[in-house]
Amino acid sequence: MSVTEQKVDEGLDETRNSKSEVRNFIVFNDVSKFYGEILGVNRINLQIAPGITSLVGPNGAGKSTLMNLMTGLLRPSRGHITILGIPTDQPEQLFRKLGYCTQFDSFPRGLTGREFVRSFLLVHGTDRKQADELTTIAMERVSLLDAADRKVAAYSKGMRQRIRLAQAIAHQPAVLILDEPLNGLDPMVRAETIALFRKLAGEGLHLIISSHILHEVDMMSDRVILLNNGYVVAEGNIHGVRDEMEEHPMQILIRCDKPSRLAAQVFDHDHVVEARLHDDRLGLFVKTRDADRFYLLLNRVVAEGEINIESVAPIDDDLSAVYQYLIGSGGGPS
Amino acid sequence: MAVYELTYKQYLGKLTPEWSRFLVIPRHALKDVFKSKLFTAFFVICFLPLLVEAILIYLHHNVSALAILQVNVRELLPIDNSFFQTFVNLQGGFAFFVALLVGPPLVARDLRNNALPLYLCRPFSRTEYVLGKMSVLLILLSLMTWVPQLLLFAFQSYLEGATWFVDNLWIAGAIFISSVVWILLLALLSQAISALVKWRVVASAALLGLFFIPSVFGEVVNQLFRTRYGSIISINANIRNVTAGLFGTFEKVTAIVTDFDGEFASQLSLTEPPLWISWFVLFLICAFCLALLSWKVKAYEVVR
Repeated sequence: MSVTEQKVDEGLDETRNSKSEVRNFIVFNDVSKFYGEILGVNRINLQIAPGITSLVGPNGAGKSTLMNLMTGLLRPSRGHITILGIPTDQPEQLFRKLGYCTQFDSFPRGLTGREFVRSFLLVHGTDRKQADELTTIAMERVSLLDAADRKVAAYSKGMRQRIRLAQAIAHQPAVLILDEPLNGLDPMVRAETIALFRKLAGEGLHLIISSHILHEVDMMSDRVILLNNGYVVAEGNIHGVRDEMEEHPMQILIRCDKPSRLAAQVFDHDHVVEARLHDDRLGLFVKTRDADRFYLLLNRVVAEGEINIESVAPIDDDLSAVYQYLIGSGGGPS
Repeated sequence: MAVYELTYKQYLGKLTPEWSRFLVIPRHALKDVFKSKLFTAFFVICFLPLLVEAILIYLHHNVSALAILQVNVRELLPIDNSFFQTFVNLQGGFAFFVALLVGPPLVARDLRNNALPLYLCRPFSRTEYVLGKMSVLLILLSLMTWVPQLLLFAFQSYLEGATWFVDNLWIAGAIFISSVVWILLLALLSQAISALVKWRVVASAALLGLFFIPSVFGEVVNQLFRTRYGSIISINANIRNVTAGLFGTFEKVTAIVTDFDGEFASQLSLTEPPLWISWFVLFLICAFCLALLSWKVKAYEVVR
């Protein structure tokens, strides 16, 4: 094979790979949305892979706009979006692959849970027999089969949340967009729902979730998209995001028998910017600009055997801390 | 980043034709509407004039029945264009009250509950949504206007014979077109108001006001300026003109002017607006309603 042919083949492979990537990703390409003069979101470039992606940001950050753009309910003012390779302006194809669960508590009057899910499947275009089967599957997935024939009006808030989820997953989409899906759920059902999300994500589904419960987002998400004032402030795996925030030293709590001695040892290093004793004097808070170097340093301390270290835990390596650093406390997440 | 194996099975089965999906809306809405016994009773009452109409047609052709009732056929209403027009107008009045009861909550309820995204995040367009909601009224009102009227026309044709049918086929056209124009106007107006006003009672009141207030105002203008042009702002007057035009009974209105003693002073031929103005006004109203629906029926209200 000549060099030219090889290059052509490589080029074709690259094109094929990028095409197959596009078919498996949610892609935002320089997307902006303006409501008249008001900014919704601006210059969004994202490639969202399968798994659970959470949108986090204060009120007015652009989370709902981003979700509505993904569902094609809003058209971008600039740029374009593809969902698994399908442009969002092709509803017939798009909504075969996409399920949306709004945060609004709205149900047609007088319907039972089963009728609610079934009727929207019929609107979706499934025939009556298939709609019956898919309804049962969806109700079972959200553990509502027992209450399927009760009126939605008689459901508790948690059950309503689950029936909305059922209507979103009933047509078995590949992408699920869920606006505040954990609101109103009791801890038990919340845990079950998160387990369901994890299961769906494990099967290769895209789940885009907006939530304001940061520790749950942290717990269940593969990646987060932090939004503020219509811009993506940070995106990716939460620990990866934290690592990249060099201007905010990472805080680590080291539980040990001689915290003062440890403080003296670590403070000599330039990447350690602060060392503070814990109130119970059995631990040391350390702020470091380079967590990796600090962990190597700790390894050496452990090897020397003079200080007995019980535990080491980063205390601001979570979404709350990242949120505080990047967005601040003003407004609070929504 | 977690690596996932794609084991999830998407539903890739056949979908029903796009055109048929909007029918899910009337199916559920009609079920809901007829849950009310009061409404069902009213809907049944709406068919009473049709029963009277059927009896009148029957009596015209049954000599023995006339003899039993001791009625001369000449004393009965003649079965002609005016006969059908009278009953079309009567059923139109009932249709208005049905629209008043059923129409206002159709879109308003979804808007109030932010339920539009539930419909629109599917292969289901805004047009199909509006069509689905409108078809609730179109089906109900058709059932009580042109469908039974055409059946009665067929009944009359059957009793009278083929010649009558051929000679009066245009009346069937007038029945159909005038009823369709009326129910389309009612459906569009009630949907537009429903999309604009989120409270059912207010929407019903607005619909009622829209029919009666301009009529009163138009009549005042007519009286003050001795004209008939005031009627062009009245939906009732316009629909009356259009129906009369279709049934061939549209004529200029003549007024008799009297002096202070009530004695005849002069006969005044008022300037009746031409028939096309009534058609044009109805067309404008429909276009305005469609524009309003297109503006309001959105998955999300854009805040400016």
